[in-house]
Amino acid sequence: MSIIKNWYKNVYHKLFHLDDRLLLIIAGICVGICSGLAAVALRLSLEVVLEWLHPFRHYWWAFLLPAIGALLSSLYLEKIAREGAGHGVPEVIYAVSRYGGLLRFRSSYSRLISSFLTIGSGGSAGPEAPVVMSGSSIGSSIAKFLGLNDRQRITLVGCGTAGAIASIFNAPIAGLVFSIEVILGEWKFVNIIPIAIAAVAGAEVSQAIIPEQILFNHQPFQVGASDILPSICLAMVTAMISVLFTKILRQTAKIAKKSFFPLWVRAVIGGSTVGIMAIFIPVVLGEGYHFIQSMISGTFSMSIFFIFVAIFGKIFATAMTLGWGGSGGIFAPCLLIGSLTGIVFHKALFSLFPSIECASEGAYALLGMTGLISGVMQAPLTGIFLIVEITSGYETILPLIVVSSISSTMSHYIDPASFYFKELIERGQFLRPGTDARILADLNIRELIETSYIKVSENMVFRKFIEILKTSQQNFYPVIADETGEYKGVIQISTIRKYALDPGMYDMIFLNQIMDTEVMTASLENDLQEVLDIMDIDNVDSIPVVENDKFIGMISKTMILDLYRRELIMQTSVQ
Amino acid sequence: MNYKLLHIFRNTPFGRETFFQSLYFCKTIDAYPVVYIPKNDKFLMYFSNDAVQIDLDHSYLTSPATAKSHAEDLFNEMDVKPMFYEPKNFTASSLPDISTNFDYLCSPRSVSDLSSKIGLGHIGPKVRRIIKQATFPILITSPVFKPWKSISVFFGGSKNALNALKLGLKIAMSSGLPLDIYTLLERKDETYYRDLIKEDGVEEPVSQLTKQWHFYKKSEFDTMLYDVPHNSLIVLGAYGHGIIKDILLGSKMEKIQSTVTNNLLITGPYCAISL
Repeated sequence: MSIIKNWYKNVYHKLFHLDDRLLLIIAGICVGICSGLAAVALRLSLEVVLEWLHPFRHYWWAFLLPAIGALLSSLYLEKIAREGAGHGVPEVIYAVSRYGGLLRFRSSYSRLISSFLTIGSGGSAGPEAPVVMSGSSIGSSIAKFLGLNDRQRITLVGCGTAGAIASIFNAPIAGLVFSIEVILGEWKFVNIIPIAIAAVAGAEVSQAIIPEQILFNHQPFQVGASDILPSICLAMVTAMISVLFTKILRQTAKIAKKSFFPLWVRAVIGGSTVGIMAIFIPVVLGEGYHFIQSMISGTFSMSIFFIFVAIFGKIFATAMTLGWGGSGGIFAPCLLIGSLTGIVFHKALFSLFPSIECASEGAYALLGMTGLISGVMQAPLTGIFLIVEITSGYETILPLIVVSSISSTMSHYIDPASFYFKELIERGQFLRPGTDARILADLNIRELIETSYIKVSENMVFRKFIEILKTSQQNFYPVIADETGEYKGVIQISTIRKYALDPGMYDMIFLNQIMDTEVMTASLENDLQEVLDIMDIDNVDSIPVVENDKFIGMISKTMILDLYRRELIMQTSVQ
Repeated sequence: MNYKLLHIFRNTPFGRETFFQSLYFCKTIDAYPVVYIPKNDKFLMYFSNDAVQIDLDHSYLTSPATAKSHAEDLFNEMDVKPMFYEPKNFTASSLPDISTNFDYLCSPRSVSDLSSKIGLGHIGPKVRRIIKQATFPILITSPVFKPWKSISVFFGGSKNALNALKLGLKIAMSSGLPLDIYTLLERKDETYYRDLIKEDGVEEPVSQLTKQWHFYKKSEFDTMLYDVPHNSLIVLGAYGHGIIKDILLGSKMEKIQSTVTNNLLITGPYCAISL
């Protein structure tokens, strides 16, 4: 028995501990399958409920359906799941950057249910962000179950994201790229393989359960060099629409938060607004994939004016759905708004230059989708690979790259924060790997405190202090109250020279007369960025750390730099 | 010492009792209470291997306008300097992250159910998860303020129990209160337990600080609980046997907490105590 145990331990250690790649690949497959199943479950349930509700959409009271869905969704999230509304992607990025990918288990199902209620009833949102949240949480939970470390857990969160996106769009490369470009923010060899395998597992699960699944049927497009210039112009338009979309989404959410209505009332208001809008602009309802399909295949028959109105209608409807208490993501709205923008652009181009030779409306719908995805997420690769994969439109790859690059660059120029990052940047919590902010956030002030400091009494006579000086190397001497042990101030060598050079003063002054009480202090609650800010304000290299009026130690820039270097090496080393 | 205890303040008469208990605990062991007055009905605690969302019952948000002044009054009544905790990070706008850099956490038996409903009946699932993940001991208070005058350590010989013993010794050292050890002889004899503490290097402080080491036969569990003075702080380890054994046999700590009205100080499996 002991031989078997030893053999098992030996094999386990060799396979999983010496090199964790195999462990991550195996775990990644499990995560990919589970997140793929979650995505397929949401997709199938949405198809069922949308079909079931379709006959009722012709009744006068149909405008109430999105309101009822949003109401149920908000009540479920607030009262049962006890989570916030919205799409949840910033929460995943935040967990990855600050807490080693730790996510709550409840997130693996709560957003699926709430977005099912919102989108199924007609709310203007997409199912992709909820499945990202769900997949990431599945990855995090599996990592917790296996007792993995932070780095391994982050990889599995990436696997969950990739598996979910790959499954819902049947697009494994887009899943891999989105996971690394948006969620993890770092291209590391050690991450790429498990995430790629998870993406394939997610896509395979989707294929196995829904074999006929093709999101958008492939249409042959004739794209030539003459399309490059119009593509550049379209990219500029999509960049502006992206910025406008992001701003409206955020402003609407802010207005909703400022309102005095409880969440469920807000959700009803948002849902009924979408319902009423849908009477006049049906395109605003739900995820809108069938409208996108008709645009790609060139059978979309609205006039340019109505399409133009539909773009802003969809933007407003999405903002009312997500900002006012509904649940869902912005992928699908981006695709719809992008394709509408592409169609409008194409129609406008032909009305201005009737003899121009360029690709069909469908090709411009694809380009518009790429432009919007790249602009809103500022993730150019995701934009390119997603559209190529979901439409099989490889012949449009060159203009797609042009549109994606220009749109993401231009929207970044207008507003440096993408939709997913904006909230985190505003809260000062956007901590990408390898950045100053991330490294400083990963260091703990307790690791940097030098505690071996000689403390001196406030009632100590200066002569006695001079005796201490002779044998000590310190530049700072914390002054402590005799009775209470409280920190009173600090003696800095640089400021007491005049007394030290005058032996006549040695017996005449006490330390409480010459100590510096104005030196700013740090506490154990401060993070290192705050400590550095305090040092910069005071223009000093060391400051005392004081907690509950007690001196804990000194913290210096030298120590911070030393640990910063070590952490940087660790974070950027090839694993 | 610079130990800090986190107390989640509840602005109700029951919350006042719990807070008094925290203040008394801190005064006795020379620690500092830090009060968090919740502004939302939930918060998150990120431990090293788990993110625990604490859903507070609605009584935690009672009269927010008076909560701080009430807490300050109670601080002053016990002559302790008021210290309040404000969360810096937020996972979502209504979901603050509460630091886990504390040395103790005070908790009622449940934070998600009204305590009036549960009495001593059960320990809430959130409190259970905190104990299982926390790297610091959890103070589970008696329902009403009850100053404790001695320390009772339940020592069963496990790694967790050794931690609890060290914690008991630490508290005895800082408070100067007498310490008793209670051991249920489940499979081994007395010498086994004495050898355990010898191996762990705590024999000397145990002999110096312990008033009496009580041994009971396996069948005398209830007698042992009755023998523990009602005004004693019970220190014990929890959830140290692994998930399967806990499911099959149940948690001994949970049995104890549902029987005694004493204040309990619990060390979970991730809690590391050094003397």
